[in-house]
Order: sequence, then C-alpha cells, then structure tokens
Amino acid sequence: MDCNTHDTDVFNLVISGVGGQGVLTLAEVLSRAALSENHNVRVGEIHGMAQRGGHVVCTVRMGPDAYGPIVDAGTAHLIVGFEPVETLREVELVRPDGYIIMNQHIQHPVAVSMGKADYPPIDEIISSLRKFANHIFDFNAMSLAESAGNPQSMNMVMFGAIIGSGLVSISKETALATVAASFPGRFEEINTRAFESGYAATSVLKW
Amino acid sequence: MVKAKVLLEDSVGKKVLLLANEAIARGVLEAGVRLVALYPGTPSSEIGNSLYQMSPHIPNFYFEFSANEKVALEVAGASAISGARSMMVCKGPGLNVAADPLLTLAYVGIRAGLVIVVADDPSMWSSQNENDSRYYALMGNLPLMEPSDPSEAKSMLLVAYDLSEQLELPILFRTTTRVNHSRSGVEYGPIRDRPEYVQFEKDPLRFVPVPSVARKRHPWLLEQMEKARSISESTELNFTIGSGELGIITSGVSYNYVLESLKILGVDAEVFKIGVTNPLPERMICDFLRRHKKTIIVEELEPFLETQIRSFAQHHSIDVEIYGKQQGFFPRVYEYSPRIVTTAISKIIGCNTPINWDDIDERAQSLPDLPPRPPLLCPGCPHRASYYGIRAVTRGKAIYPSDIGCYTLSIAPPLETADILFDMGSSISTACGIARVTNQDVVATIGDSTFFASGLPGLASAVYNQHPIALVILDNRTTAMTGHQPHPGTGITGMQKHVEPLDIEKVCRGLGVEYVKTIDPLDSLTSLVAEVRELVKWVRENKRPGVLISKAPCALLTVAERRRSGITVPPYYVDPDLCTACRRCLDRLACPAMYLDSETGKAVIDETLCTSCGTCVYVCPHKAILQKEE
Repeated sequence: MDCNTHDTDVFNLVISGVGGQGVLTLAEVLSRAALSENHNVRVGEIHGMAQRGGHVVCTVRMGPDAYGPIVDAGTAHLIVGFEPVETLREVELVRPDGYIIMNQHIQHPVAVSMGKADYPPIDEIISSLRKFANHIFDFNAMSLAESAGNPQSMNMVMFGAIIGSGLVSISKETALATVAASFPGRFEEINTRAFESGYAATSVLKW
Repeated sequence: MVKAKVLLEDSVGKKVLLLANEAIARGVLEAGVRLVALYPGTPSSEIGNSLYQMSPHIPNFYFEFSANEKVALEVAGASAISGARSMMVCKGPGLNVAADPLLTLAYVGIRAGLVIVVADDPSMWSSQNENDSRYYALMGNLPLMEPSDPSEAKSMLLVAYDLSEQLELPILFRTTTRVNHSRSGVEYGPIRDRPEYVQFEKDPLRFVPVPSVARKRHPWLLEQMEKARSISESTELNFTIGSGELGIITSGVSYNYVLESLKILGVDAEVFKIGVTNPLPERMICDFLRRHKKTIIVEELEPFLETQIRSFAQHHSIDVEIYGKQQGFFPRVYEYSPRIVTTAISKIIGCNTPINWDDIDERAQSLPDLPPRPPLLCPGCPHRASYYGIRAVTRGKAIYPSDIGCYTLSIAPPLETADILFDMGSSISTACGIARVTNQDVVATIGDSTFFASGLPGLASAVYNQHPIALVILDNRTTAMTGHQPHPGTGITGMQKHVEPLDIEKVCRGLGVEYVKTIDPLDSLTSLVAEVRELVKWVRENKRPGVLISKAPCALLTVAERRRSGITVPPYYVDPDLCTACRRCLDRLACPAMYLDSETGKAVIDETLCTSCGTCVYVCPHKAILQKEE
C-alpha cells in the first residue's frame, strides 16, 4: 500500500551554527516577528552543556500544521548556515526543492586546530551541499557584519538574508520593527544596518 | 530569554512567544504560587532563571536557589504544608536527589498546592542518563501530568494546583527537553494574588511520620489515589481527537508527532491524548481499546503507558492488537521525531513512508568526514588553566574523578582529566573509593556550586575516614553550565538580595581539612603548577584529604563585566617571527581562540574570541605569545 505524501501547511527552517554566533537569538527574533504577523510558530532549541564553541541547531516552523518543533530529514524548506561545516552537518534536513543560505566565514573546530581532523575544502563543501539541494546562496556574512559595525551582528545579517530571499512570509517592515524592539540603545543601529546588508544580498537573487 | 517585564505583564488575552520554561514561570504568577525553591538543572534551567529575574517585582513571593534538590523539595514541601502554594523544579537526575522527601511527602500530603516540575531529557542533550521520572509516580503514588507544548505547560499547571489541593497531594509535572526548549505563542490569563503570610497549623500525627503515623498514612494515600483515578476518568486533560479504525494512545511531546504523522500520511485515526498519566483513566482507556482493532502506543523512553495499557487489555479481556515498543516498532532510547512515529505507523498499517528516508541516509553517508565540534571549555575559561596544571604535575597518570558541570568537558583531549563520574558530588566520594584500593595519586575536581550542592557530605566523610585524596575546587563564582545562577558562595540570593557569601576555604577548614589553599589559576601558570605539585605531595605524605581552591570567575562573566563597565583589555597575538610552529599551545592547551595557519603551520589567535586570560603565554616555550599594546 502506498501512502501519498500529503503536503502539510508548514514552512520549516533550520538554523545551524556554532555556540556564541547568535543562532538562538536569530531564531527567537525571527519567531517573534512571525508571531506578530499572527503565524502559528514553533521553535526548537537545544541548550545545555557549554554555551560556546559547540554545534548549535535551532528549528523554526511556521504555519497551521506546525505542532512539534522537530524538522526531519528531507523536510526543511530553508537551511541557514552560520558556518560552512555546520551547514553541511545539517544538509540532510533540506527538501530536494529547498534552499540553503550560507555564511562562508570559517570558524575552525578545535580538532582541526589540533591537527586531529581536516577542514574540508570549501568547494567540496559546496558540491556536497548540491547533492541535496540546487538553490544555494553563499556569501560572507561576517564581513557584512563587520562593515555594519560589529561581527556579533552577523545573526542579523542572516535575518536580513532570510527575509530578503522572499521565502518566508514575514514583511520587511515587521522584521525591522522586531530587530529594533530586540536591540534597544546603541545596538539598534548596528543591527538594523546588518539586517539591511543581508537583505540587499538576497533580495536581488533569482535563485 | 524573554525579559522579566514581559513575563510580569498583567494583560489578559495577550499572546507572547514563550519558551515552555518561561510559560511555566508565567504560570507561577497565574496560579498564585507563593514560594518556589529549586536547584538549577538543564533542561529546566530557564524556569529558575525567569523567576530569578521576576522575583523582586512580585508582591508576596519568595524564590530561592536551594543548595540542592532535596533541600529545595523540603523547603517547598513544608511551605505547602503550611498552606501556601509552592513549587519545586528540577531535572530528571535532580528528582533522584529529592526522592527521599518525595516519597514521604506523598504520605503526609499537603494543605496548599504543591507542584514538582521535573524535566526529563530524552536523548541526553545535557544529562548523564535518560531518567524516565514517570516511574516515581507509580512508586510514590503521586498524580502525574505531562504537557505537550509551551501553551499547555502553562494551562495544565493551573489545573495541577487545583488538583493538588483537591487531593491534598503533591503533583508531579513532567516535561521533556523538546517541551522545555520549544517556543510558541502562549496566551496570558489573569494573575492571582498571593497571601503575605499563612498560619502553620500543627498536626504532628499527620506530618511526623513515625512508623505508627506512616502506617495510617499509607492507606490514606491509596484512598486519595482512588479519588485521583476517578478525576483522571473525567478530566478534560485526557481527551480523544479525530476518528478512524486505527487507535493511537499518546502523551507529552509525542502527541504533536502523532498529529503530524497522521497529516503527512493522510491516515485517519482516533488519538487518545493523555494529560494525567498517573493514575491512568482505566475505564476510558478500555472503552478506547474496545473501539479499535488496532491501537498504537506512542511514548518516549520507557514503556510506561504501554505496560499498564497491555495489562488493562488482559484484565478486561479486550480483543485488541496493541503495537508499541514491545514488538520493536518504537525505540526505547532517545527522543522521538515525526520521522520515527511516521515510520512506525507506516510499518504497522503496511504502507510506504512518504519520504524515502533510506535514500537520504545513504546520501548523507557519502558526505565528506566532518570535523567534530563538541561543546568545549570557553576561551579564557579558568578551568583550562587548572586542568593544564593538574595534568602537567601528574603527567596524566593520576586518576581524575570528575563532577557535574562545564568542567566535565575536560574529558576531551588534550586535557583528558575526567576518569569517573556518577552524579553531583560524586568526584569526592568516588575519589575516596579509588584512593582506598589503589596506590595511585587521585586528584578530584568539583565546581563551587556542585560543592555546596552535594560535595559537603563527601568531604566530611573523606576527612573523618582519612582518605588520601587531592581535591581541587574549581571556583568560578557561579553555576556556569546551567546559565549562571547564584549559589551559597556567590553573595546574592534568589530574591536578588546581597548577602555574605559562604567562604569555601573556611567551610573546608570547618570540616576539618588541614591542608587548604586558595589560588588564582590565571595569575601565573607556573605558580599554579607549583601549588598543585605541593598539594599532591602533601596528600601522598600525610594520607589525608587536601584541598586547593582554584578561584577565578567564569570567562563569560568576566567578558560581560568588562562590556558593562566599558573596559577593554588588549588581546594576545602570536609573533610569527618567534613562533617555531612547535604546536605546543595547540596540542596541550587547545584554546578555541587559537588555530593553525594552514600555510605557515604556525599558531594564530582569533582576536574576536580571545578574552586575554593569558594562559597560553606560559605554555609557549619560545615566548612567542605577546599582548598587544593599548
């Protein structure tokens, strides 16, 4: 007996990166924006153990059929990677018709620094990503964040890139308002600038 | 984390994006809880963190980080017996610590509502085992509730308090990581007032369970559980949804996966969602089983529901096929996902999975080997220096009993200073056992929070029984791993009141430790190594426990403090002319802020990560690591 795959009304997004890069914050800001546009939204986070330096994944699910927070292999509409190896680590989650937005800036795992493991060449990472999805956009979000005024605003560059890609149904206005509400004081300006540069990078894409 | 201000808002009907842990903290307000006591433990940590932020702003409210879970439950239990709604919060292994008062609390019962929130951790994202705490409900005769998402975590909590008071029993409120650490919209209800004071009414023949009292209380408890059973049959927390030939019984987070799987597969089924999972609604379950030829039971970890439901079917001679873990359709380890549930349902009803997961797995196998990125001691972590010192002195040959905290990450190369670990406080007591039966040096490590939580009895025993153990207390001035909660050594309470901190050095002396010294591990690695050497030597010669307190604040606190006060400290750099590419810094210290320049083979320091702790300076034999000028 065959079961038909019934497409459910949900958008699955996976954010993958390194602890300390602002993965959790991006998931929260994005989801707050989604909630303020009245989407049903579920976020999954994994905390615990040391807060820095380890692999971190967040899932954001939007739409009436989002019940639990887990995104299974082959079901993510969009993977947002904060770091090349960490993007590849979660690539099996993407749908064949899904999208990947990746920051090219490398953060070396300690195993690589110690010479106990190799960091795969970047072209090998991209070609491996292509085995799972055709729509891949990679850019140096880190240098955009630095230009915006703070490398720590990289997560807001990625937020801008997500909204600019047009894949998620959150308006730019709502997104910017959420950024402003999330980073009061002197960080608002830097993060808004970071958002705009990420937005500009993907809004011109034809994929 | 959502700010305290947001959680404190008195705006009924407002919908806010909350972590389930934050929703539980909000529920404390809406249920009118007067007192919360806990010891932090992930995945429950944000309940305490939120309440800590909120506590000074809630009228007639008391919150504390107790020394450990047993203490927390005794504080909360006594408060509930006094007549004030109370709560204790812990993670799975934390409930084991509190198991002693837990089982007796059920006998004596309570006067105002008492809810014990226990966060289990299927897949062990941050725990040492997969504790299925639901069995405490069976063993202790305690009503048990399991919410499935953030919104239900709050609404069910309010029912739990009513039920607790109706039955005069503490309620076990069990969540799992995927509930605790998921976010969704949660609607605010009204905030309830709390009494300023309640009156303790004496009733020693109820609350002092000497054997003659306890003997009478056990039948009372069983009677209460019979009342609970009839409540379980009628509560709206146990409900069915949908219809179809197939029946599914589920609870907790698995309920979500069941709904998703049915939608994906386009299969009709009647789903029985159980919110009160002890005592089970036996009559409702039997009626459900009779309605379905096939019933699937979907629950994470142990077959808690499955075993009981199979026994109901047998007892009532119901002709039904029950599918679950016992035939291997569902695993008994790790958390579930929609994929696991979908695959099992597909197998049971005999159809293909909607996604060719085997193909995806196969393609994933063909990916290049990725360098692992496990969690690590942070750049600038004072523990890295301490462990470097311990390892240098003992040349890796001593036995290193470890404990629960960030510092357990020293298990990873190149520090490799964690050889044995059971639970909170076990570093000291396991060290005693090892020291008694081997003639090896034993250097145990324990964090400051863990020391107060469970290290004290172990140290008292070590002193009295004269165990030759070297103990290094890694005092980073906080409970770092769970998110920087205060403890008795920090000088701030759960109510954010500044108080005199307990001095670990004095505590050790008070317990009778003769050799006690305090050093700053970031002061000089050379003197750190000398101090560890002296400690180990003293223990070897005197055959008694010796303590070295290695005291420096958590790097995350140091960085935050500098940011707050606008202080900038120049970072370190490697002078490529002096560096000989010997790799000693990378191979022996492995600070995440250092990496290898693949072209020159020399070490480089990532300035954005460096916290200027300076530990690497001492490790470099060529004096190639220098600090930038201001």
